[in-house]
Amino acid sequence: MSGAAAIPGKKRKPLLSRIPTGFVQAVLKGHSGLGIAFAAVIYIVCLSGTLAVFYDEFLRWENPDAPRVEAVSPEAVQTALEQAVQQAGEGVEHVYLTMPDKDRPYLRVSVDAAQESDWIADGAGDLVAPMRDAWSEFILGLHIYLHLPATWGIFVVGMTGVALLSSLISGILAHPRILRDAFHLRIGGSQRLQEADLHNRIGVWGLPFHIVISLTGAFLGLVTVTVGVLGLVMFDGDTDRIYDLFLAQEPAENPAPAPLLDLAPMFAQLPDAGRIDRITLEHPTEQGGAALFDFRNDAALAETASYAFDRGGLYYAKGAEDFTFGETVLGSMGPLHFGWFSGGVIKIAYGILGLGVTYLAVGGIKIWLARRRDKGRPAPGWERVWAAVVWGQPLGLAAAALAALAAPAAGQGLLIGVWGGVALAALALAAALPAAAIGRWGKMLSGAALIVLGLWHAAGHGGLAGPALVWIVDLALLAAGALLCGLALGGMRSARQRTVAPQGHP
Amino acid sequence: MLWMTLVGAGGGAGAAALSRSWRTRGSGRVPWTALGWLAFAAAMALAVATLGAGRGVFVAFSLISIAAWIVVACGLEIRQVRRRKSRSLAPEPVERPSTWWRGTLRWLLAGPIGLFAAMGIGIFYLTWTGGADQTRLVIGGMIVPVVWAACMAWTLADNRILRATAFLIGVIVFGFGLSMLKGF
Repeated sequence: MSGAAAIPGKKRKPLLSRIPTGFVQAVLKGHSGLGIAFAAVIYIVCLSGTLAVFYDEFLRWENPDAPRVEAVSPEAVQTALEQAVQQAGEGVEHVYLTMPDKDRPYLRVSVDAAQESDWIADGAGDLVAPMRDAWSEFILGLHIYLHLPATWGIFVVGMTGVALLSSLISGILAHPRILRDAFHLRIGGSQRLQEADLHNRIGVWGLPFHIVISLTGAFLGLVTVTVGVLGLVMFDGDTDRIYDLFLAQEPAENPAPAPLLDLAPMFAQLPDAGRIDRITLEHPTEQGGAALFDFRNDAALAETASYAFDRGGLYYAKGAEDFTFGETVLGSMGPLHFGWFSGGVIKIAYGILGLGVTYLAVGGIKIWLARRRDKGRPAPGWERVWAAVVWGQPLGLAAAALAALAAPAAGQGLLIGVWGGVALAALALAAALPAAAIGRWGKMLSGAALIVLGLWHAAGHGGLAGPALVWIVDLALLAAGALLCGLALGGMRSARQRTVAPQGHP
Repeated sequence: MLWMTLVGAGGGAGAAALSRSWRTRGSGRVPWTALGWLAFAAAMALAVATLGAGRGVFVAFSLISIAAWIVVACGLEIRQVRRRKSRSLAPEPVERPSTWWRGTLRWLLAGPIGLFAAMGIGIFYLTWTGGADQTRLVIGGMIVPVVWAACMAWTLADNRILRATAFLIGVIVFGFGLSMLKGF
């Protein structure tokens, strides 16, 4: 900025530079405190959320032998329904039929009965294999409720979204050099400057994405609490009156046994309202049985129509023109939060942006630690703990995926145990190893686990004849593993050089 | 796919033009700044025109952000490690003395009290505004995290903690009180 000296006369300072320093320092204090308090949970939620963007791809990866189905006839849907209900036996409460589309090229039938079951059907509607979804559901559950008791877990994640949103507000207010540093990215030199540049550039240029995911995540996470308080204050505690405003009308209860619902006449009455996304059946073997058809238009963010039938015919119809603005916004929240609204390109974009927001949490704590070191108050204990938190997660997640591959029939308990065990073991290592060593070994082990995962899956599931998407996921795992191992090896080489020539540049 | 590529390219062109403006001294930067924002606007307009208003806006946000990151990464500056500590230009967080009760009160304000104040405002909105019930509920529900986040940012920063306490308690009393007075 030396050129400024040549300009004659007094130059007016840019608007952002006129913010009082005291205000910036106070906001920075709050930003720092909030970041330190929530960094670990923000990191876990964002990392798992980044992976959850690829939920459909992971499902396909877990079921490489599933026959590719792009469209199904009403007869095939009925066949799949009949076979799934027959397999489930007595006490069928609900059946969910997920229709094939570009991202999910198979027909899925889930039955909620005395024993839950989940099937993949082929184009004729014949059930071909049980659905394997342990890893995909594990990662989705980790993101949505951290595998805590659901109500508490969802609230904690919602609160994390609020903390992230608050950090965005305070981060912008505490950054008067936002324009002056807009394109600065200085790597090397002072670690604090390097991390601050990364943190601020990722934060500022990804701001619209960060606002969207934190706001939608916070909204979805706080729904239960908000509705609960609203119900208590305004509806005498009856929260169902609020939910009823958004849900399709329930069928009249009649538990008398009846033949399985026949979907064929319902299909015949459906209008052309886009693509059928899902069919939900309530008590399909009772007289009070009903089927709800949800439509989706690929050009829209939210669902576009819903039609419900009972044994007497159509009893609920909601076309695109009947949706209020609020319902459309609500229906858009999930797709916007997860990046499930415009195919593979946006999923990849969300994956990259998600890694960025994950790094905001990592880098924020690194800035705090570097600041303490610069001020002569280093916190080596916290440096070790943070390295263990950061590198325990990819290793734990990779180990959980390996467990899902080794024992596909095992439930979520095994995966939660493996992930939690590895994360805790990494934390225990913080007592014995320095932060740099934890980082190097964390990268190396995570990378090795990803390579083993990719190779094992490629060798044992489908071979070269497998679907292209499955191979892409395997290659992505191998590439990520190789990258992490390469970074670890580079770090080890630098550490050796520092040991050999302590006076030289590392 | 073609449209998305064009939207991403527009975002990249906009970020590159703004980067050029950022590196230029004096009045020469104005055309680059204008060009940059025009390219962003064109990318957004293209996304909306081809993908629809709902999806287009968010597709553009995502792709422009990534394009901007790429432009920032292209300007990467590698620095040598200095022996002496580099003087930071960034402001430092304020060092303020704290007592246990001030710290506890500050986190209570940022947490549960802020949440209830936000709910008070959200519920006030949905009871005192018109329109479809679902729309008022959803917008009222969206107000809650935004206001709570703002409360967090404010109360964790403000040195005058009692002022924040009085204000938030007032918001809770008026928000819930007026809402219950009117009813849904």
